[in-house]
Amino acid sequence: MDTYTEKIRSIAGSLLKEGKVDRVIGYKKGSIPMATNPFAARTVEQARELVFNSTCVMNLANYITDSSETIAVAAKGCDSRNIVTHIVENKIKRDQVYIIGVPCSGMVDKRRIIEEFGSDLTEFSENGDEISVKSLDKEEVLKKQDYLRDCCTTCIKPNPVVYDELAGELVPEPEVKNRFASVEKIEAMDPDEKYQYFTDLTADCIRCYACRNACPICYCPTCFVDESGPQWVGKGQNETDIQTFHFLRAFHCAGRCTDCGACEEACPMGIKVREFTKKLNKDTSELFGWDAGLDQTKRPPLDTYSPEDPDDFIK
Amino acid sequence: MPDKDIKIVSFLCNWCSYGAADLAGVSRLEYPADIRVIRIPCSGRMSPKFVLSAFREGADAVWVSG
Amino acid sequence: MGNLIEHIGIERERIHFSWISSAEATKFVDVVKDITEKVRALGPNEKFKKIYN
Repeated sequence: MDTYTEKIRSIAGSLLKEGKVDRVIGYKKGSIPMATNPFAARTVEQARELVFNSTCVMNLANYITDSSETIAVAAKGCDSRNIVTHIVENKIKRDQVYIIGVPCSGMVDKRRIIEEFGSDLTEFSENGDEISVKSLDKEEVLKKQDYLRDCCTTCIKPNPVVYDELAGELVPEPEVKNRFASVEKIEAMDPDEKYQYFTDLTADCIRCYACRNACPICYCPTCFVDESGPQWVGKGQNETDIQTFHFLRAFHCAGRCTDCGACEEACPMGIKVREFTKKLNKDTSELFGWDAGLDQTKRPPLDTYSPEDPDDFIK
Repeated sequence: MPDKDIKIVSFLCNWCSYGAADLAGVSRLEYPADIRVIRIPCSGRMSPKFVLSAFREGADAVWVSG
Repeated sequence: MGNLIEHIGIERERIHFSWISSAEATKFVDVVKDITEKVRALGPNEKFKKIYN
Protein backbone atom coordinates (compact mmCIF):
# COMPACT_ATOMS: atom_id res chain seq x y z
CA MET A 1 0.00 0.00 0.00
CA ASP A 2 2.98 2.31 0.31
CA THR A 3 2.66 2.88 -3.42
CA TYR A 4 -0.16 5.26 -2.57
CA THR A 5 2.25 7.58 -0.80
CA GLU A 6 3.58 9.24 -3.96
CA LYS A 7 0.13 9.63 -5.42
CA ILE A 8 -1.28 11.16 -2.23
CA ARG A 9 1.67 13.55 -2.05
CA SER A 10 1.19 14.71 -5.62
CA ILE A 11 -2.57 15.15 -5.24
CA ALA A 12 -2.09 16.99 -1.96
CA GLY A 13 0.66 19.11 -3.42
CA SER A 14 -1.39 20.26 -6.38
CA LEU A 15 -4.49 20.87 -4.27
CA LEU A 16 -2.55 23.10 -1.90
CA LYS A 17 -0.70 24.83 -4.72
CA GLU A 18 -3.91 25.68 -6.55
CA GLY A 19 -5.42 26.84 -3.28
CA LYS A 20 -8.36 24.48 -3.64
CA VAL A 21 -8.09 23.39 -0.04
CA ASP A 22 -6.75 24.95 3.15
CA ARG A 23 -5.26 21.78 4.53
CA VAL A 24 -4.75 18.18 3.61
CA ILE A 25 -5.22 15.65 6.35
CA GLY A 26 -3.20 12.49 6.02
CA TYR A 27 -0.57 10.56 7.90
CA LYS A 28 3.00 11.40 8.73
CA LYS A 29 5.73 8.99 9.64
CA GLY A 30 5.92 8.51 13.40
CA SER A 31 9.04 8.53 15.50
CA ILE A 32 9.18 4.74 15.94
CA PRO A 33 8.66 1.89 13.46
CA MET A 34 5.03 0.96 12.79
CA ALA A 35 3.78 4.32 13.91
CA THR A 36 2.07 6.94 11.79
CA ASN A 37 0.53 10.10 13.12
CA PRO A 38 -2.43 11.98 11.74
CA PHE A 39 -1.03 15.08 10.12
CA ALA A 40 -2.45 18.21 8.54
CA ALA A 41 -0.40 19.60 5.69
CA ARG A 42 -0.95 23.27 5.03
CA THR A 43 1.86 23.99 2.57
CA VAL A 44 3.24 22.25 -0.48
CA GLU A 45 6.41 21.48 1.46
CA GLN A 46 4.46 19.85 4.24
CA ALA A 47 2.55 17.78 1.70
CA ARG A 48 5.81 15.97 0.93
CA GLU A 49 5.77 14.57 4.44
CA LEU A 50 2.53 12.68 3.89
CA VAL A 51 2.78 8.90 3.85
CA PHE A 52 0.44 5.96 3.54
CA ASN A 53 1.14 2.38 4.53
CA SER A 54 -0.36 -0.51 6.44
CA THR A 55 0.02 1.15 9.81
CA CYS A 56 -2.27 4.10 9.12
CA VAL A 57 -4.81 2.93 11.65
CA MET A 58 -6.33 6.08 13.07
CA ASN A 59 -9.51 7.47 11.59
CA LEU A 60 -8.96 10.79 9.87
CA ALA A 61 -12.63 11.70 9.78
CA ASN A 62 -12.03 12.70 13.39
CA TYR A 63 -10.22 15.86 12.31
CA ILE A 64 -12.62 17.46 9.89
CA THR A 65 -15.54 18.49 12.08
CA ASP A 66 -16.59 22.00 13.07
CA SER A 67 -14.38 23.77 10.62
CA SER A 68 -15.06 26.50 8.12
CA GLU A 69 -12.01 25.58 6.08
CA THR A 70 -11.97 23.45 2.99
CA ILE A 71 -10.28 20.23 3.86
CA ALA A 72 -8.86 17.40 1.82
CA VAL A 73 -8.69 14.01 3.50
CA ALA A 74 -6.90 10.85 2.51
CA ALA A 75 -9.72 8.45 3.30
CA LYS A 76 -9.76 4.69 3.51
CA GLY A 77 -13.06 2.82 3.28
CA CYS A 78 -13.90 3.28 6.95
CA ASP A 79 -12.78 6.92 7.01
CA SER A 80 -14.98 7.68 4.04
CA ARG A 81 -17.97 6.09 5.75
CA ASN A 82 -17.34 8.28 8.76
CA ILE A 83 -17.11 11.33 6.52
CA VAL A 84 -20.53 10.37 5.16
CA THR A 85 -21.81 10.14 8.74
CA HIS A 86 -20.43 13.63 9.42
CA ILE A 87 -22.12 14.98 6.32
CA VAL A 88 -25.43 13.40 7.35
CA GLU A 89 -25.08 14.83 10.84
CA ASN A 90 -24.22 18.29 9.51
CA LYS A 91 -20.76 18.35 11.01
CA ILE A 92 -19.30 19.35 7.67
CA LYS A 93 -20.66 20.18 4.23
CA ARG A 94 -19.96 17.91 1.31
CA ASP A 95 -18.45 20.71 -0.77
CA GLN A 96 -16.10 21.51 2.08
CA VAL A 97 -14.32 18.19 1.89
CA TYR A 98 -12.19 16.96 -0.92
CA ILE A 99 -11.91 13.24 -0.47
CA ILE A 100 -8.78 11.53 -1.71
CA GLY A 101 -10.02 7.97 -1.81
CA VAL A 102 -7.53 5.35 -0.75
CA PRO A 103 -8.57 1.78 -1.54
CA CYS A 104 -7.42 -0.19 1.47
CA SER A 105 -6.17 -3.73 1.75
CA GLY A 106 -6.28 -3.78 5.51
CA MET A 107 -4.09 -2.52 8.30
CA VAL A 108 -1.58 -4.54 10.24
CA ASP A 109 -2.30 -5.44 13.84
CA LYS A 110 0.49 -3.73 15.70
CA ARG A 111 -0.34 -5.41 18.99
CA ARG A 112 0.16 -8.87 17.54
CA ILE A 113 3.43 -7.92 15.95
CA ILE A 114 4.69 -6.50 19.23
CA GLU A 115 3.51 -9.60 21.05
CA GLU A 116 5.56 -11.80 18.75
CA PHE A 117 8.57 -9.61 18.26
CA GLY A 118 8.82 -7.77 21.54
CA SER A 119 8.27 -4.08 21.87
CA ASP A 120 11.69 -3.11 20.52
CA LEU A 121 10.87 -2.97 16.85
CA THR A 122 13.65 -1.49 14.81
CA GLU A 123 12.30 -1.69 11.32
CA PHE A 124 9.04 -2.25 9.52
CA SER A 125 8.50 -2.23 5.81
CA GLU A 126 6.08 -3.68 3.35
CA ASN A 127 6.14 -4.87 -0.18
CA GLY A 128 2.81 -5.73 -1.71
CA ASP A 129 1.34 -8.57 0.30
CA GLU A 130 4.39 -9.03 2.44
CA ILE A 131 5.57 -7.21 5.49
CA SER A 132 9.02 -7.47 6.95
CA VAL A 133 9.52 -6.82 10.59
CA LYS A 134 12.79 -6.49 12.41
CA SER A 135 13.20 -6.28 16.15
CA LEU A 136 16.17 -6.58 18.48
CA ASP A 137 15.44 -10.30 18.80
CA LYS A 138 14.53 -11.44 15.33
CA GLU A 139 13.78 -10.57 11.76
CA GLU A 140 11.03 -12.09 9.66
CA VAL A 141 9.06 -11.63 6.50
CA LEU A 142 5.38 -12.24 7.06
CA LYS A 143 2.26 -12.41 5.00
CA LYS A 144 0.26 -9.29 5.63
CA GLN A 145 -3.00 -11.17 5.22
CA ASP A 146 -2.27 -13.20 8.36
CA TYR A 147 -1.56 -10.17 10.48
CA LEU A 148 -4.52 -7.95 9.72
CA ARG A 149 -6.40 -6.20 12.48
CA ASP A 150 -9.55 -7.95 13.59
CA CYS A 151 -11.79 -5.18 12.28
CA CYS A 152 -10.04 -5.30 8.89
CA THR A 153 -10.75 -9.00 8.50
CA THR A 154 -14.46 -8.30 8.81
CA CYS A 155 -14.43 -5.10 6.76
CA ILE A 156 -17.24 -4.79 4.21
CA LYS A 157 -16.09 -1.63 2.46
CA PRO A 158 -12.34 -1.45 1.86
CA ASN A 159 -12.95 0.97 -0.99
CA PRO A 160 -14.02 4.50 -0.15
CA VAL A 161 -17.79 4.90 -0.55
CA VAL A 162 -17.41 8.48 -1.69
CA TYR A 163 -14.40 10.22 -3.19
CA ASP A 164 -13.34 13.03 -5.47
CA GLU A 165 -10.15 11.44 -6.62
CA LEU A 166 -8.55 8.04 -6.14
CA ALA A 167 -5.02 7.42 -5.02
CA GLY A 168 -4.94 3.97 -6.59
CA GLU A 169 -6.89 1.20 -8.25
CA LEU A 170 -10.00 0.04 -6.43
CA VAL A 171 -9.45 -3.23 -4.60
CA PRO A 172 -11.86 -6.13 -5.00
CA GLU A 173 -14.66 -6.13 -2.43
CA PRO A 174 -14.06 -8.99 -0.03
CA GLU A 175 -16.64 -11.57 0.78
CA VAL A 176 -16.96 -11.63 4.51
CA LYS A 177 -18.54 -14.86 5.62
CA ASN A 178 -19.69 -13.97 9.08
CA ARG A 179 -18.57 -10.63 10.33
CA PHE A 180 -20.38 -10.99 13.65
CA ALA A 181 -18.85 -14.28 14.74
CA SER A 182 -17.28 -12.69 17.81
CA VAL A 183 -20.64 -11.27 18.86
CA GLU A 184 -22.40 -14.59 18.43
CA LYS A 185 -19.90 -16.24 20.70
CA ILE A 186 -20.91 -13.90 23.51
CA GLU A 187 -24.60 -14.15 22.71
CA ALA A 188 -24.41 -17.87 23.31
CA MET A 189 -23.25 -17.36 26.91
CA ASP A 190 -25.67 -17.32 29.82
CA PRO A 191 -26.22 -14.03 31.69
CA ASP A 192 -23.73 -14.74 34.47
CA GLU A 193 -21.01 -15.70 32.02
CA LYS A 194 -21.69 -12.60 29.98
CA TYR A 195 -21.51 -10.38 33.00
CA GLN A 196 -18.25 -11.98 34.07
CA TYR A 197 -16.91 -11.61 30.56
CA PHE A 198 -17.62 -7.90 30.43
CA THR A 199 -16.39 -7.34 33.95
CA ASP A 200 -13.09 -8.94 33.02
CA LEU A 201 -13.01 -7.15 29.68
CA THR A 202 -13.25 -3.69 31.19
CA ALA A 203 -11.34 -4.42 34.39
CA ASP A 204 -8.11 -2.91 33.05
CA CYS A 205 -9.72 0.34 31.94
CA ILE A 206 -7.90 3.38 33.33
CA ARG A 207 -10.57 5.84 32.15
CA CYS A 208 -8.20 7.78 29.93
CA TYR A 209 -10.97 8.24 27.33
CA ALA A 210 -8.51 7.63 24.49
CA CYS A 211 -11.17 5.48 22.81
CA ARG A 212 -13.59 8.37 22.94
CA ASN A 213 -11.08 10.87 21.62
CA ALA A 214 -9.95 8.62 18.79
CA CYS A 215 -13.52 8.02 17.71
CA PRO A 216 -14.67 10.22 14.83
CA ILE A 217 -18.31 10.05 15.88
CA CYS A 218 -17.68 11.05 19.50
CA TYR A 219 -17.86 14.78 19.03
CA CYS A 220 -20.31 16.03 21.70
CA PRO A 221 -19.16 19.39 23.09
CA THR A 222 -19.68 18.03 26.59
CA CYS A 223 -19.33 14.30 26.88
CA PHE A 224 -21.65 12.56 29.33
CA VAL A 225 -18.65 11.50 31.40
CA ASP A 226 -17.71 15.14 31.93
CA GLU A 227 -21.17 16.25 32.98
CA SER A 228 -21.26 17.08 36.65
CA GLY A 229 -24.82 18.11 37.31
CA PRO A 230 -26.34 15.56 37.29
CA GLN A 231 -23.37 13.28 37.26
CA TRP A 232 -24.36 10.18 35.32
CA VAL A 233 -21.16 8.29 35.79
CA GLY A 234 -18.60 8.54 38.56
CA LYS A 235 -15.11 9.53 37.61
CA GLY A 236 -13.20 6.96 39.59
CA GLN A 237 -12.03 3.44 38.97
CA ASN A 238 -15.20 1.93 40.38
CA GLU A 239 -16.10 -1.17 38.43
CA THR A 240 -19.68 -0.09 37.82
CA ASP A 241 -18.62 3.35 36.68
CA ILE A 242 -16.21 1.83 34.19
CA GLN A 243 -18.93 -0.42 32.86
CA THR A 244 -21.37 2.46 32.66
CA PHE A 245 -18.89 4.46 30.65
CA HIS A 246 -18.27 1.65 28.19
CA PHE A 247 -21.94 0.84 27.90
CA LEU A 248 -23.03 4.40 27.21
CA ARG A 249 -20.12 5.16 24.93
CA ALA A 250 -21.06 2.20 22.81
CA PHE A 251 -24.72 3.06 22.90
CA HIS A 252 -24.06 6.53 21.55
CA CYS A 253 -22.37 4.89 18.58
CA ALA A 254 -25.33 2.66 17.74
CA GLY A 255 -26.02 2.81 14.04
CA ARG A 256 -23.17 5.24 13.51
CA CYS A 257 -20.11 3.12 14.18
CA THR A 258 -18.28 1.96 11.08
CA ASP A 259 -16.10 -0.48 12.97
CA CYS A 260 -12.93 1.34 11.95
CA GLY A 261 -11.10 0.08 15.02
CA ALA A 262 -9.60 3.42 16.02
CA CYS A 263 -10.90 3.02 19.58
CA GLU A 264 -9.16 -0.29 20.08
CA GLU A 265 -6.02 1.02 18.47
CA ALA A 266 -5.96 4.01 20.80
CA CYS A 267 -6.53 2.00 23.97
CA PRO A 268 -3.31 1.90 25.99
CA MET A 269 -4.54 -1.09 27.97
CA GLY A 270 -5.50 -3.22 25.00
CA ILE A 271 -9.18 -3.48 25.92
CA LYS A 272 -11.36 -4.86 23.18
CA VAL A 273 -13.72 -1.90 23.14
CA ARG A 274 -15.18 -3.01 19.85
CA GLU A 275 -16.95 -5.92 21.54
CA PHE A 276 -19.65 -3.47 22.59
CA THR A 277 -20.05 -1.52 19.39
CA LYS A 278 -19.91 -4.65 17.31
CA LYS A 279 -23.00 -5.97 19.06
CA LEU A 280 -24.85 -2.76 18.23
CA ASN A 281 -23.68 -2.95 14.65
CA LYS A 282 -25.13 -6.42 14.48
CA ASP A 283 -28.41 -5.23 15.98
CA THR A 284 -28.83 -2.29 13.64
CA SER A 285 -27.94 -4.46 10.71
CA GLU A 286 -30.49 -7.09 11.73
CA LEU A 287 -33.27 -4.83 12.98
CA PHE A 288 -33.01 -2.00 10.50
CA GLY A 289 -30.93 -3.46 7.67
CA TRP A 290 -28.55 -0.62 8.29
CA ASP A 291 -24.81 -0.18 8.05
CA ALA A 292 -23.43 3.19 8.95
CA GLY A 293 -22.02 5.66 6.47
CA LEU A 294 -23.16 4.18 3.19
CA ASP A 295 -25.84 6.66 2.25
CA GLN A 296 -25.55 10.44 2.32
CA THR A 297 -29.30 10.93 2.31
CA LYS A 298 -30.38 8.77 5.23
CA ARG A 299 -30.15 9.51 8.92
CA PRO A 300 -29.08 6.75 11.33
CA PRO A 301 -31.97 4.48 12.42
CA LEU A 302 -31.97 5.52 16.07
CA ASP A 303 -32.25 9.10 14.91
CA THR A 304 -35.46 8.74 12.97
CA TYR A 305 -38.86 7.25 13.40
CA SER A 306 -40.62 5.07 10.94
CA PRO A 307 -43.88 3.16 11.49
CA GLU A 308 -42.04 0.07 10.29
CA ASP A 309 -39.56 0.19 13.16
CA PRO A 310 -39.59 -3.06 15.12
CA ASP A 311 -41.67 -2.64 18.27
CA ASP A 312 -42.39 -6.13 19.54
CA PHE A 313 -40.41 -5.41 22.70
CA ILE A 314 -43.18 -3.04 23.81
CA LYS A 315 -46.07 -4.58 25.64
CA MET B 1 -47.55 -10.96 50.25
CA PRO B 2 -44.08 -10.35 48.75
CA ASP B 3 -41.68 -13.15 49.56
CA LYS B 4 -38.69 -11.16 48.42
CA ASP B 5 -38.21 -7.48 48.62
CA ILE B 6 -37.69 -6.21 45.10
CA LYS B 7 -37.56 -2.75 43.59
CA ILE B 8 -38.79 -2.04 40.11
CA VAL B 9 -37.90 1.47 39.05
CA SER B 10 -40.67 2.66 36.76
CA PHE B 11 -40.35 5.59 34.44
CA LEU B 12 -43.89 6.62 33.60
CA CYS B 13 -44.90 9.22 31.07
CA ASN B 14 -46.89 12.01 32.69
CA TRP B 15 -49.63 11.86 30.05
CA CYS B 16 -49.99 8.13 29.58
CA SER B 17 -48.95 5.58 32.15
CA TYR B 18 -48.79 8.05 35.00
CA GLY B 19 -52.37 8.92 34.22
CA ALA B 20 -53.20 5.24 34.10
CA ALA B 21 -51.56 4.72 37.48
CA ASP B 22 -53.58 7.61 38.84
CA LEU B 23 -56.77 6.17 37.41
CA ALA B 24 -55.92 2.77 38.84
CA GLY B 25 -55.58 4.51 42.17
CA VAL B 26 -58.89 6.34 42.09
CA SER B 27 -60.59 3.20 40.79
CA ARG B 28 -59.19 1.37 43.82
CA LEU B 29 -57.60 -1.35 41.73
CA GLU B 30 -55.02 -3.38 43.59
CA TYR B 31 -51.57 -3.99 42.24
CA PRO B 32 -48.20 -5.11 43.66
CA ALA B 33 -46.39 -2.41 45.57
CA ASP B 34 -42.91 -3.26 44.30
CA ILE B 35 -42.80 -0.50 41.76
CA ARG B 36 -41.16 2.85 42.48
CA VAL B 37 -42.62 5.42 40.17
CA ILE B 38 -40.61 8.21 38.61
CA ARG B 39 -42.73 10.60 36.62
CA ILE B 40 -41.14 11.87 33.45
CA PRO B 41 -42.69 14.65 31.37
CA CYS B 42 -42.85 12.45 28.29
CA SER B 43 -41.44 9.08 27.28
CA GLY B 44 -39.16 11.08 25.01
CA ARG B 45 -37.39 12.31 28.14
CA MET B 46 -36.16 8.78 28.70
CA SER B 47 -32.48 8.14 28.29
CA PRO B 48 -30.26 5.08 28.58
CA LYS B 49 -28.45 6.98 31.33
CA PHE B 50 -31.53 6.71 33.53
CA VAL B 51 -31.70 2.97 33.13
CA LEU B 52 -28.06 2.46 33.99
CA SER B 53 -28.36 4.90 36.88
CA ALA B 54 -31.27 2.90 38.26
CA PHE B 55 -29.38 -0.38 38.06
CA ARG B 56 -26.31 1.22 39.53
CA GLU B 57 -28.23 2.46 42.54
CA GLY B 58 -29.63 -0.98 43.17
CA ALA B 59 -32.78 -1.42 41.12
CA ASP B 60 -33.81 -5.00 40.46
CA ALA B 61 -35.59 -4.11 37.27
CA VAL B 62 -36.46 -1.09 35.17
CA TRP B 63 -39.77 -0.44 33.51
CA VAL B 64 -40.28 2.26 30.93
CA SER B 65 -43.84 3.00 30.01
CA GLY B 66 -45.35 5.56 27.67
CA MET C 1 -31.17 -0.91 24.69
CA GLY C 2 -32.62 -4.18 25.92
CA ASN C 3 -30.32 -6.08 23.61
CA LEU C 4 -27.17 -4.40 24.86
CA ILE C 5 -28.27 -4.74 28.49
CA GLU C 6 -28.66 -8.43 27.82
CA HIS C 7 -25.33 -8.51 26.07
CA ILE C 8 -23.44 -7.37 29.12
CA GLY C 9 -25.15 -9.99 31.20
CA ILE C 10 -28.18 -8.42 32.85
CA GLU C 11 -31.17 -10.67 32.34
CA ARG C 12 -33.52 -9.54 29.58
CA GLU C 13 -36.49 -9.76 31.93
CA ARG C 14 -35.10 -6.98 34.05
CA ILE C 15 -35.97 -4.30 31.59
CA HIS C 16 -39.51 -3.75 30.38
CA PHE C 17 -41.14 -1.40 27.94
CA SER C 18 -44.84 -0.86 27.61
CA TRP C 19 -47.38 1.49 26.18
CA ILE C 20 -50.41 2.31 28.29
CA SER C 21 -52.89 5.09 27.65
CA SER C 22 -54.09 7.17 30.60
CA ALA C 23 -57.52 5.51 30.34
CA GLU C 24 -56.19 1.99 30.61
CA ALA C 25 -56.02 1.55 34.37
CA THR C 26 -56.75 -2.16 34.08
CA LYS C 27 -53.96 -2.67 31.58
CA PHE C 28 -51.66 -0.79 33.93
CA VAL C 29 -52.54 -3.16 36.74
CA ASP C 30 -52.06 -6.19 34.51
CA VAL C 31 -48.66 -5.02 33.34
CA VAL C 32 -47.51 -4.23 36.87
CA LYS C 33 -48.58 -7.68 38.02
CA ASP C 34 -46.90 -9.32 35.08
CA ILE C 35 -43.61 -7.47 35.53
CA THR C 36 -43.55 -7.99 39.28
CA GLU C 37 -44.09 -11.70 38.83
CA LYS C 38 -41.28 -12.00 36.31
CA VAL C 39 -38.84 -9.99 38.37
CA ARG C 40 -39.71 -11.86 41.55
CA ALA C 41 -38.92 -15.07 39.74
CA LEU C 42 -35.49 -13.68 38.92
CA GLY C 43 -34.85 -12.44 42.43
CA PRO C 44 -32.81 -9.40 43.42
CA ASN C 45 -30.26 -8.01 41.00
CA GLU C 46 -26.64 -8.15 42.04
CA LYS C 47 -25.04 -7.05 38.80
CA PHE C 48 -24.05 -3.58 37.78
CA LYS C 49 -24.69 -2.35 41.30
CA LYS C 50 -22.34 0.33 42.47
CA ILE C 51 -20.55 -0.47 45.67
CA TYR C 52 -19.57 2.67 47.50
CA ASN C 53 -16.56 2.45 49.68
